[in-house]
Amino acid sequence: MASSDFSPSGASSPDGRSSPIANTNSSPALGPAGRSSRRRRRTPSTTPSPSPGALLTPSATPSASGPPSSTPSSLRRRWTRRHPATPSTPMSADENLPPSSDAGDDDAVDHDDADSAPVFVWGTNISVQDVNAAILRFLRHFRDPREASRGNGLLDDGKYMRSVHRIMELEGGESLDIDAHDVFDYDPDLYTKMVRYPLEVLAIFDIVVMDLVARIDPLFEKHIQTRIYNLKSSVCMRNLNPSDIEKMVSVKGMIIRCSSVIPDVKEATFRCLVCGHYSDPILVDRDCKRLVGVRLNTVPPGRINEPTRCVRQECLAMNSMTLVHNRCRFADKQIIKLQETPDEIPEGGTPHTVSILMHDKLVDSGKPGDRVEITGIYRAMSVRVGQTQRTVKSTFKTYIDCLHIKKTDKSRLLLSDQMDCDNSTTNKTVEDENADYRDKIDKIKELSKLPDIYDRLTRSLAPNIWELDDVKRGLLCQLFGGNALKLDSGASFRGDINILLVGDPGTSKSQLLQYMHQLSPRGIYTSGRGSSAVGLTAYVSKDPETGETVLESGALVLSDRGICCIDEFDKMSENARSMLHEVMEQQTVSIAKAGIIASLNARTSVLACANPSESRYNPQLSVIDNIHLPPTLLSRFDLIYLILDKADEQTDRRLAKHMVALHFADPETQVQEFIDLPTLVAYISYARKHIHPQISDEAAEELTRRYVEMRKRGNAPGSRKKVITATARQIESLIRLGEALARMRFSEWVEVQDIAESFRLLEVALQQSATDHSTVMPTTNNVLVAKGTIDMDLIMTGISASERIRRENLVAAMRNLVMEKLQIGGHSARLVELLEEVNKQSSMEVHLNDVRTALATLATEGVVLLHGDSIKRI
Amino acid sequence: MVGLPYDFLTNPLGAVRQTFEKSVASSPTDVDPAAIFRGKDWGAVDLFHDFLFVKGGLAQVPSIDASSMRWLQPNTLVRFRGMVQDMLGNELYVGAFKDGSSWRTNKFSDFCPIQLPPACETQLWERQLFHCVPVPGQNSWVTETKSIPSTQNVSSSASQHEGKRGRGSEDEDMNLNEESDNGDLISSPNAKKQKEHENTCSSSCLSDDLMDHGNDSGLGSGDSNNPTCLVKIYDLPESHLKLNDVFEFIGIYTFDPVLAVHKDDSDDPMFELFEDPTVDLPPSKVPRLHCLICRKLDTQDFLSNSLVFESLSTVVRGIRESLLSHLTAILGNDELAAQYLLLHFLSRVRAQVEVMSVGKLSLNLTGFTKESASIFGHQLTGVIQKLLPFTQDITLTLDYLNTATLQPRRNNKTGRLVAGVLQLAQGTHLTINETCMQSGTLSSNGIENARLLKNLLELQKVEYDFEYYKLEMAADVQLLILSEAKSSILPADLVLPFSPGSVPATNATSEDLQAWRWYLATMRSLPCSIEPEMNLTLQDEMVASMQEDKSLGCAELNRWLTMTELISASFGEKNLSLEHWQMIKELERLRKDRLKEKAR
Repeated sequence: MASSDFSPSGASSPDGRSSPIANTNSSPALGPAGRSSRRRRRTPSTTPSPSPGALLTPSATPSASGPPSSTPSSLRRRWTRRHPATPSTPMSADENLPPSSDAGDDDAVDHDDADSAPVFVWGTNISVQDVNAAILRFLRHFRDPREASRGNGLLDDGKYMRSVHRIMELEGGESLDIDAHDVFDYDPDLYTKMVRYPLEVLAIFDIVVMDLVARIDPLFEKHIQTRIYNLKSSVCMRNLNPSDIEKMVSVKGMIIRCSSVIPDVKEATFRCLVCGHYSDPILVDRDCKRLVGVRLNTVPPGRINEPTRCVRQECLAMNSMTLVHNRCRFADKQIIKLQETPDEIPEGGTPHTVSILMHDKLVDSGKPGDRVEITGIYRAMSVRVGQTQRTVKSTFKTYIDCLHIKKTDKSRLLLSDQMDCDNSTTNKTVEDENADYRDKIDKIKELSKLPDIYDRLTRSLAPNIWELDDVKRGLLCQLFGGNALKLDSGASFRGDINILLVGDPGTSKSQLLQYMHQLSPRGIYTSGRGSSAVGLTAYVSKDPETGETVLESGALVLSDRGICCIDEFDKMSENARSMLHEVMEQQTVSIAKAGIIASLNARTSVLACANPSESRYNPQLSVIDNIHLPPTLLSRFDLIYLILDKADEQTDRRLAKHMVALHFADPETQVQEFIDLPTLVAYISYARKHIHPQISDEAAEELTRRYVEMRKRGNAPGSRKKVITATARQIESLIRLGEALARMRFSEWVEVQDIAESFRLLEVALQQSATDHSTVMPTTNNVLVAKGTIDMDLIMTGISASERIRRENLVAAMRNLVMEKLQIGGHSARLVELLEEVNKQSSMEVHLNDVRTALATLATEGVVLLHGDSIKRI
Repeated sequence: MVGLPYDFLTNPLGAVRQTFEKSVASSPTDVDPAAIFRGKDWGAVDLFHDFLFVKGGLAQVPSIDASSMRWLQPNTLVRFRGMVQDMLGNELYVGAFKDGSSWRTNKFSDFCPIQLPPACETQLWERQLFHCVPVPGQNSWVTETKSIPSTQNVSSSASQHEGKRGRGSEDEDMNLNEESDNGDLISSPNAKKQKEHENTCSSSCLSDDLMDHGNDSGLGSGDSNNPTCLVKIYDLPESHLKLNDVFEFIGIYTFDPVLAVHKDDSDDPMFELFEDPTVDLPPSKVPRLHCLICRKLDTQDFLSNSLVFESLSTVVRGIRESLLSHLTAILGNDELAAQYLLLHFLSRVRAQVEVMSVGKLSLNLTGFTKESASIFGHQLTGVIQKLLPFTQDITLTLDYLNTATLQPRRNNKTGRLVAGVLQLAQGTHLTINETCMQSGTLSSNGIENARLLKNLLELQKVEYDFEYYKLEMAADVQLLILSEAKSSILPADLVLPFSPGSVPATNATSEDLQAWRWYLATMRSLPCSIEPEMNLTLQDEMVASMQEDKSLGCAELNRWLTMTELISASFGEKNLSLEHWQMIKELERLRKDRLKEKAR
């Protein structure tokens, strides 16, 4: 029998393998092969009376040092002690077993159980034979219900028998992973016992497994450990309490630290310096560490009792024994620290940690940063004040003896889109899939099947901001994104959707940006005021005039594969903006430093918001005039939304009501059917990761049809203007939007409906931004153009067709005026005077700026000379 | 009434143990007596509660500070006020054990009173460990008002107590012996202390550990740093204490020289790896307190009890006026700034709704130069320190941003939370002086720090770094920013150009100060509600304002509402009124005018 949980007996594993649950009775199996060994191996189960009986009978007196709380461990110890100094009966019972006679019979166990007197686990009414039989039944007969339903009746063996066979075939000599759910399904009683008394039950498990193995192949030498995983319920780390001690628990957490691998002496050999005699291997008794009481007379825990004298009768020299390192046997051991994951931490709390003791094969199966689920035995060990001190603090340190480690979701759900599967080669005990994660995915998938998912998502995005539903839809599309495409020719098409919000102050643009920033993986929020866009460093600059301090940060590179939210886009420096051209189309940022030009990836969606240049949107001016942005940059935004404060009393009232409610009402009344933020984030990242929709044929047809229609609209007969309604850039945008919309439904195909919606979205956005506002009022030549014509020219060149006509007319008018009023080389006229004159003649009010522009045109023609506000005719 | 065989102050464990044994004896025999009391109180705490709060024993309980550390005796009743700085998790201990045939308890102590018999039955119980520190930025007047009256109280309560005892001695059941015993202690607490001190000294001659102990605490008092304290909490739901909460703990102080040597000198790596977060909290420097009773403290609890003002509106208005004029004087006759400052002082986070935190009002006073900041800023921080219990100030420079650790971070090697500058108790006031900021490059640490400050300003949240993930903790910090021009690193709710008319003047008596402290603490915690009619009126008002000024948005309205609440609180009123709303609109108008003026 093995010595302790830390150290299986010397005979146990030649390769020094051990586990928290020592493979007690199997140990002799690894000695000389053959029938005799097999018999001995079988003895505990077949003839329980002499061996386990002696250990487990209720009459066995409790260990002197084993207080009740440590009952199982003390039992275990008694079971397993083989310290030479204290040759206890249990050990000798094991050694001196008479070879069992009925070893060959496969069903011996079952028979034997019937006729032997019941043996109980100490301190309980659990019969060892019952457990033994139950385990055997389970292993032999458990069949996966899923397999059974598949009608695979051909399989004779149960699920775990096959596992055993497989292990034997592979010569893996590893461990038998047993799903605790299976145990529960098959025999809830066994499950309860296993969780309550894991040390005993697992020891029996090992015995039974080795027994089975021995029956199949008597020559099989490796030993198989049972590892239980997937308990019915897992405990929160902070809820581990004294009643869990010595029970099987399962905790989830994140590894934050791993110790180096510690060689643990299992067996020490000494040599006499005088006569050269080698002592028998001495087992290291580590078990007393977790005793509650103190045993001052025994070896300090973890120490080897150096024999004081040579045992050889001829020698008997005192203090002559020395440790022979290379004759000692060591096992691996490692301690890791597990920390709670954020979702388990209550508000205002800090994460708890727990130490996990890993043995042998489990060593190094987890790295810091991994999220794992540990199944193990919760234990406590007393704290000594110092080894020389007689006092023991009345406190305990707790840890978990690890039985099984399972990696849960490999990386955080919301982390980068691309996941490298570098873990596929790891240990077999490490499971990739995790029930919790699957649950989450199932929930998300279910959500995606809802017919109103699109509306629901829209509603859940920034629920505190009303109206602006179409803006929110656009933002949703941005979050989901289209498919990036890379052709063989090297040309690539971005999948990111860029959005610009232009609007009056106080229309919650910034709040929308904040929300988006929170939702997006790797979102960066920056203010255009200080974005040097490229810079990898951040810089504090101080306005020399006002003394305003500004933080300039290199946002774009940092938001690779995320959304870069730029507030106050209009305030961005020219230089930084020019960098955006590259980012928004090529998705790279070039940096020239010390003669080296580096190109960094910046696969980022840009969400920018800008205030109109005159702080409020002037409907008289075009978008371009309202925001001082170069048209080349504007055209790179897929959607441009104008958020105008419509000065609607109804909206104002709603806002007022909400604000008051925010301050005074209880928030519960406001709860509506929203998807909460974490779910939304998970939903989006899942979609981005797993859904790559393609355009269906019908959808493609629809796209072509609609696009042609859209372009035609510009050339409507009767229109004098040549208006381009849509451009090739729009078609790319439309495809991206369609893909994003399909992603929202978790659909692999972009359907007609998606195309329809993307057209609608684009049109809504165009209606707001590209609609030529000046067309709604009579232009200089009194042509009333149909209300709200979509004019892509506006965005492409910054000047709408009607505006162009108007300007041309104005220039002509000005030329006439100048010719009329001013003589060559004569007096100069003031700008304001000319403005008055023009306004007198024109049916529509002309702005000073327009006049100035017109005059500038004339100046380039060489008609006039502009000097500040005065105009001279040349 | 029978005299008690224990004294609450000097032998609290006696009370604990006696009640335990009594309870065990009276519990039914068929159940395991020790198991019943796991995680439960058996009446000991009630006894202490009664002693401390009903019988007024609280005043006699010495509090742990640098000076008292020298003479405090182990296993006596002490109290400690501090902020929960770190949560060290749970600790299992032998809660009860069977000594022969009777159960004994170890609760509220680090040690077994006797050597555990090798084979005794034990019960494992659990307690929570918290590392508590004196509240960061705690101003000296807080401790003064705490300690001065308490020493007064000790002597005065001694006489009071004697009076009580006198009355008690009329009670015939009174144990004379006990009384004289107590009387002895109480009538000459100083002598007793002296004696204790001598005891410590003499024993320290014998024990090196105690010598260390004395020296350490001596050093501690040298830099006037009050000790931090490892508090062990029993039987409370964990959610009761939150990180950064300010609590008063009353419990048993334990110190054992044996523990001081501590350090597992075992060369077994096992011990090193199961590292103990308490390792770097040596008992000689960090006293252990086994908490019997704890209570959460408000700002009001830090005021001296001697002055209690009536919350009459006339009184409140009077104090408000005097405080306002004082602030005006400090601010060089800038009354508008004083008004805003007052509102700022009264602000607190009332709720966190999604990305908004309702109730905060951070203030950015602009127009400072390095020089004026040193004059006015100095005066201002001085006043703030005198008025508010917990204040911090930061002079923001490039170097500071790049090098300072603002973020609290868990050191996973030691398992301890390393406090950053921004680990602040709820209700702390933080002044940031930005006038010394220069242009230059920020390191990654600098960016992180700037981001933390911005988040604190905008969301009232501080991210704590737990290495593999970050946790956001809600904060409630009043932020005042002094800058040259509007700070865009630190975007405050309010920007007000500061325009002093004269040099700052200060004149405040200590009575004034006490009144103001009381005023600020009390008004700040006033609840605020709104009548349904007022609700509608307010909505109409808001709509009207919005129609008037199209540029009004969420942020403005939110701020106005907050300010209206604050101004009504400043008058000691719990209901909003239209009048207050109008006042705020007027204030805001003045502020906007000033902003425009500045822009010109």
